[in-house]
Amino acid sequence: MTLFDRVFGGSQEMYAWAEKAVTEAVEKYGVDKEVSLPQTAYCLPCYYAVTGEKLTKLGEVQEALGGRIKSMMERKERLHNVFQAGIGTALAAEIIEAMKYIDGAEPYAEPYVGSFSDAWIRELGVPLVTGDIPGVAVLINAAPTKEEAVALVKSYQSQGIFVTCTGGICQQLIDAGYKTGFNVRVTLLGDEITSVIHVVSVALRAALIFGNITPGDLDSLMEYTKDRVFAFVNAYAPVDDLTVGCGGGAIAFGFPVISNDLVSLKDMNVPKSLILQGDTSKFNATSLDARDIKIKIAQVDIPVSFASAFEGEIIRRGDMQVEFDGSRKDCFELVCTKEAGDVVDHGFELIGPDFDAMEVGSKQQIAYIVNVAGKNMQSDFEPVFERKFHSYINCIEGVMHTGQRDMIRVRISKSTFEAGFRAKDLAEVLYVNIKNEFDAVVDKCSVTIVTDPAQCTKLRHELATPAYDARDERLTSLTDESVPVYYSCIMCQAFSPSHVCVVTPERLGLCGAVSWLDAKATNQLDPQGPCQVITKERVIDENLGRYEDVDEAVNKFSQGALEHVTLYSIMEDPMTSCGCFECICGIEPFSNGVIIANREYAGMTPLGMTFADLASMTGGGVQTPGFMGHGKHFISSKKFMKAEGGVERIVWMPKDLKDQVSERLNETAKELYGIDNFCDMIGDETVSTDPESLLEFLTEKGHPALGMEPMM
Amino acid sequence: MPFNGKSGKFNASINTVEIGCGEKAIKIGGENVYPFYTFDAPIENAPKIGVMISDLGLENEPAGVKAYYEGCSSFAEIAQKAAAMPGADFVCLKLEGADPNGENKSTEECMTILKEVVDAIDVPLVVYGCKNVTKDAELLTKAAEVAQGKNVLILAAKEENYKGIGAAAGLAYNQKVGAESAVDINLAKQLNVLISQLGVAPANVVMNVGTAAVGYGFEYVVSTMDRVKAAALSQGDAQLQMPIITPVADEAWSTKEAIASEEDMPEWGDQEARGIGMEVSTAASVLASGSNAVILKHPTSVATISALIKELV
Repeated sequence: MTLFDRVFGGSQEMYAWAEKAVTEAVEKYGVDKEVSLPQTAYCLPCYYAVTGEKLTKLGEVQEALGGRIKSMMERKERLHNVFQAGIGTALAAEIIEAMKYIDGAEPYAEPYVGSFSDAWIRELGVPLVTGDIPGVAVLINAAPTKEEAVALVKSYQSQGIFVTCTGGICQQLIDAGYKTGFNVRVTLLGDEITSVIHVVSVALRAALIFGNITPGDLDSLMEYTKDRVFAFVNAYAPVDDLTVGCGGGAIAFGFPVISNDLVSLKDMNVPKSLILQGDTSKFNATSLDARDIKIKIAQVDIPVSFASAFEGEIIRRGDMQVEFDGSRKDCFELVCTKEAGDVVDHGFELIGPDFDAMEVGSKQQIAYIVNVAGKNMQSDFEPVFERKFHSYINCIEGVMHTGQRDMIRVRISKSTFEAGFRAKDLAEVLYVNIKNEFDAVVDKCSVTIVTDPAQCTKLRHELATPAYDARDERLTSLTDESVPVYYSCIMCQAFSPSHVCVVTPERLGLCGAVSWLDAKATNQLDPQGPCQVITKERVIDENLGRYEDVDEAVNKFSQGALEHVTLYSIMEDPMTSCGCFECICGIEPFSNGVIIANREYAGMTPLGMTFADLASMTGGGVQTPGFMGHGKHFISSKKFMKAEGGVERIVWMPKDLKDQVSERLNETAKELYGIDNFCDMIGDETVSTDPESLLEFLTEKGHPALGMEPMM
Repeated sequence: MPFNGKSGKFNASINTVEIGCGEKAIKIGGENVYPFYTFDAPIENAPKIGVMISDLGLENEPAGVKAYYEGCSSFAEIAQKAAAMPGADFVCLKLEGADPNGENKSTEECMTILKEVVDAIDVPLVVYGCKNVTKDAELLTKAAEVAQGKNVLILAAKEENYKGIGAAAGLAYNQKVGAESAVDINLAKQLNVLISQLGVAPANVVMNVGTAAVGYGFEYVVSTMDRVKAAALSQGDAQLQMPIITPVADEAWSTKEAIASEEDMPEWGDQEARGIGMEVSTAASVLASGSNAVILKHPTSVATISALIKELV
């Protein structure tokens, strides 16, 4: 016996049942008797959605059953035919249910609901579309015990999932005195398996109303239910052929079936579609996983408040219960990407003593490791998440956080400790925020907190440091040539309407805050957001960094204000600036070089202009050849005005800035030109702030720019 | 050489959106030229004017508004009187009393008022929320249901609550969806994209791109509207071709020019005249910048702007 056999067997059985029901009805009422499910404009909604035909009279129903539906049940060993037969079974079940309602009968008495009205579908559809109802559970057959039935229903209900029950489980809930009804989102459809069609009808009518699906367009219908209606089936053992037949229909519409019938469905599991789960207490987790349902957590359940109002709170030494200090002890915070099977969602582990076992006012060690898994998760997102920890932890009332990676400092106030705040609450804050903010990529998340000194030391050296090193290595190994795409960033357009940043690995956003990895993460987490993919397939001039793709993107995102931008030139179509630039670079004609001024520098530059003067001619999204805004990190990039010769054009920058970038800039100069200690050749305000004495200094040092081609 | 005028009409045009039903239904948008550029091509539909009424009644209104509604004792009567205001094309019911930081009226209470207004008038209706995104999500979702069959404009879905309001108004109950953003072309476009991904047809969406009263950072409003219309028309950006509606009354009547009393500011002259001045100049400016409809409250302002539109279109 194969699964195919059972689906076809079930569909035949359902057909025979429907045929009998329709024949009896025709005998009693004649072929012209009106037929419809109650309070719907779609007559037999499933049949209408699937075929595009409205059946209004008994005769039409009889014809449809013997014609269209029968032909759907044709027995062929192809997957397509199994799906068709499953849908046919569902349509036959709808006809059986419709016969119950004929002549204004009311076959279902409270607490049963039977067929849903269109008004209910509209009411239910809105929260389904918004995700406020994250899914629809279809429970079939009696659970092993009524307590277990209640437990499963309650678990779904507490997650906001809409529950529908068919078969023996209905009576179990009634016996248990469980409150059901449309308003509490737990509904009893009916005792017979055919009543399951009423929830299928919800999905299909939702597709017609909310998806604008044309009735009869079966492919679009199936796509809509699969992508937008997060329903799934839990069928308790034993599962008969009729149920398997309907299950074929459920699977066709994209609803996975989870069952504990290990006997009759033995070896029939189909990944993601028919899942055998012997442990019925795991139905909930298995179902959510199979249907990719993510539950939104509305509130952080901790003993103190959590709000951005507490973000800037300072905990003084005298007020603090305990302090974790990364400068003295081994501390770190880390996000680790794992396989889905290795992460228990909402898991928490504490290795070492909890806060109440720590001496008041003492310095301790702590490490928190957040393990995440997800189909769309990439290890490149780890630092993006990690950077948010600072804000998450600071938002806890009475907890202060500074620093990052293994240089963190966390203080917990006495009053927060006395309110009952412990390690598990810290874990809860991280869990809830990661899950909520990054739900696009995180499916599962667990938190491990380590306070044991030996373990902290060991993990810091064996886990954290190698992870940080690998990330740094990844960052430095990323080059403009090695990545397939660049990203646009238009976060600043609110006040600089025509500005577009093109972010590449070697040229971060001019604000200094958006690296290529940040832009990539922003794009993935918010696909309609400010960072969009720019392809780099049609190169025009590699040296200038001129691409057709980039020009098109800049044109589009600046709404036509910009037509051409080069990535590596300050003279030809330089990239625009919004106004947030960390630094401004401008040509210094006497030396054939450029000077750079950073925002913090308030003094005069050899161009006779201060940073503010330079900013006024560089910002606002306009292109000013010879002037360009950029981030600090860009100074040591090999792509820094590469078209004009690169970093060896730099002749002057403020001392503070020079100190910040000298190490990396020297490395770049050494690698590109073989110059040692290049920064010593660069002037600063202690040397000169006028072009004449700067030129003298440069001549004395033998600065390479003096021998280069003039830039204009 | 003789001067040859070239028409500046575009191949793209703003979507036409119909609000209301029956004879008094209005159409906004549809033009393929810049605002009031009638010399380039005829303006398909002249900009429309709405009259704002509030669920809080008339108590806080200026004397001229109170006088206009004199004798009205129910919301039905107020709505009918608003609909009959010379120059008005539609009515806008603002449910400001629902604001949790204000009167915090229940949704049911507001729906009773909405029902009363819906039943009382035959001109198109705009339902305006209380601006609290959480409350609006509940309030406006329900409003879409209560006003079923009336083709009302629900103002507005924002980035925080567009799913519920968009699905209820645009999908479940076939109303028109207002998409509200805060004076930023990219946010406006992003919200339009999100709402269309929800399944709402672009032809059922009207934008409120945000506004300020003149003199209160209004240049941002001008440049946003300018750029939206330029992108929609010259670049054919379909995600910005929704017509724009701008609620002016709230902004104009909450400026210091409108609320400073004559005792405090004797040199500024009559207080109500100042409010009207702010309302008229803001409305005229947003219309010139690209709004396809404005919402005002003072009868004098409505008459003035109506005359302006008639002269220009």
